[in-house]
Parts: sequence; structure tokens; C-alpha cells
Amino acid sequence: MAVHRLLPGLAVLGIGAFFVRAFAPVIGFNHLLLAIALGFVLTNAVGVPARLEPGIATHKLWLGAGIVLMGASVSLGAVRDAGWLVLLAILAVVGTTLLVVELLSRFVFGLTDRLGSLLAAGSSICGVSAVVAVAGAIRAREEQVAYAAATVLLFDAVTIAIYPVIGELLGLSGRVFGIWAGISMFSTGPVVAVGFAHSDIAGQWATITKLARNALIGVVVLAYASYYAREANRTDGGRSAPSAGAASSTIRTLWSEFPKFVLGFLALAVLSSLGAFSAAQRTSLENAYNWLFLVAFVGLGTEIRLDELRQTGVTPAFVVLLALLVASTLSLAVLLLAFSSS
Amino acid sequence: MSLDGWESGVTVVRSRWTGLERDWQSVVVAATIIVTTDLLEVQIPW
Repeated sequence: MAVHRLLPGLAVLGIGAFFVRAFAPVIGFNHLLLAIALGFVLTNAVGVPARLEPGIATHKLWLGAGIVLMGASVSLGAVRDAGWLVLLAILAVVGTTLLVVELLSRFVFGLTDRLGSLLAAGSSICGVSAVVAVAGAIRAREEQVAYAAATVLLFDAVTIAIYPVIGELLGLSGRVFGIWAGISMFSTGPVVAVGFAHSDIAGQWATITKLARNALIGVVVLAYASYYAREANRTDGGRSAPSAGAASSTIRTLWSEFPKFVLGFLALAVLSSLGAFSAAQRTSLENAYNWLFLVAFVGLGTEIRLDELRQTGVTPAFVVLLALLVASTLSLAVLLLAFSSS
Repeated sequence: MSLDGWESGVTVVRSRWTGLERDWQSVVVAATIIVTTDLLEVQIPW
């Protein structure tokens, strides 16, 4: 895409970030949440002109770059200490959410199989990205994708507002709040935002936990692809036999769905642990990722469009709400027990 | 370097950039920032 088409939107993101940086301390509001609020107001009150859209759409690029740089601030020792427990909790919550959404969708509320699977993927792994990835693998219809994506976005908006309040009311420690947000909220941007809105420690744990959860996307896409392929095979009497290159196709799918910026994050975390950066350099990198997050979150806010949220059906929203309540409550209880001393 | 050389260099960089997945583009942006702060000792203020 030509650079000049990106510039107007990029300028808006940059100006928005400077505005938030200047005014958040004055009005006493968290700067990351204010950035999202600014984008939200921009898109819903004023509307985003078409010529700004290409530049604003780059916000995920800046979020990814910010997460990579955050690797320089992460303590690998702390991750090693709590790593296995967090990994187990991630697997348990992802599995529970998938199962609850699938069962409720199919057997209680009578949603179509594919819509239920899209909702399950979106709420258990990584929001709209998971919806889109699974939609491609199961050949979901466009309206099912739009429906599932709108439902996920609705809960992104709700959890951005509610999680910080619950964290404050319960007086959760940075580690517990961060892991809880990373384990149970849907999309990466909102998780990072509410994490850092709580504290730096919470932001780092939220991001690490969410990245580990996102890394499961390839496995879930493969599982759904093979399930729906078997279903299709069964209905056409076994005429479509499995292809010879199934193993290499599996590896290709796992790699293509893997969020590669995680590798950059890990590389930087290792370099930082080996003492590659001085304190001043680390501070500079922290400032850099704080700016990148501000820019990214102004853009993220513009994606929360009220007219799209209104497209969400009551039944899919109710299914996802029940799954979120189950996953969120259980995971918080387990984390409070596991880290009661922190 | 001549103007033509610059233009072809920019074209190569642009085509490499657009050929990258967005995740790798994020890694490139981060690497650029690290090089700027580390090697050129540029301090990024907050």
C-alpha cells in the first residue's frame, strides 16, 4: 500500500497518543483506557473518514511491536517460577470455555454448529483473530463470521470497562489480576490495556499469559478443520479421502497460525535476562512500548462501533456471557488460591 | 549513490516490507527501535 495513503490515519493515531499523554494525568484517568475511549468517541460520535481508515488500521502492527519491546522488561525468573501453574490454568480455561460454548450452542440454545464453533474459538483463544482463523478452516458463512466477531467485540468492550473495577474492588495483586485478565478476557489489545491500567506487573503478566494462550490458536484451528472435514466426509459417504501430505499440511497450518511476534518477545526477554541492555536502554524501550501501546489503543477504540455491536444476537451473546462467567469465576478462584501469599 | 539507485533501493525495501506478514512487520518495527536506542543511544522520553 502506498505510504501517502497511510499518513493521514497515522497522523491521527499519533496526535491522539500525544493528546492522551498530555491530558490523562490532568483528568486523573488511566492513559491506556483514555486512549481506547478517545478512539471509541472518534468513531461513534464523529465517524472515521474513509481516507483515515488505512492508517488507523495499522494499530495491530504497533500493538505487536509494543509487545515485542515489552520482552525487554520481563523477568524470566518470575515466569519460570509461576510458568507451569499458569500454563495449566490456560489449558484448563481454554478447554472449559471451548466445551461450555460448544455444548450450550448446540444442545441448549440450538445455534448452528459453525456459529457455535466460531463463538467457542473467539471466546477461548484470541477474539476476532481466532474467529477469522477458524472461519477459514471450517468454511463458515460470512454472516456467521460477522455475527461471531460482533459478539466477541461486544464482550471486549464490556470487559475493558468491568475488569478494572473488579480488580479494584477485590484488591487483586498485580500478578493475580494480570494472569486472570490474560486467561479469561478475549482479545489481546484489551487484555494488555486493562493489565497495564492496573499496574506494570499486571500488564506484563497479562501479556505473557495472553501470548501463551494465543499460541494455542494453531492447534484449535487444526482440531476444528479436521473435525469438520470428517463430518463432510461422513455426509458424502467417504468419497473425499484424506490427502497424502496431511503431516506437512498440519505443520504448515500450525506455523501459519502461530503469532510470530511472540518469537520477537521471547528473543528480547532472553537478551534482557542475559544483561544485553543497560538500565537507561531498558527505560527507553519501556517508554517506546508505552507510546506504541497508546497509538495502538487509539486505533483499537475506533474498532468498537456501536452499530456493529447492535448486530449481536441475544442468544449468541447469552451463550458467550455464560461461558465468560464460568471461565472468569473459576480461574479467579483458582488463581486466588494458588497465589494467596502474593 | 545516484537518484536511480536510491529509487530502486526504496522499491526493494517497500516490496520486502509489503511481502512480510503483519507479525513479522511488528518484529521489524521493534528491531528498528532497539537499534535506534541501543546503537545510536537515542533516549525515548515519556
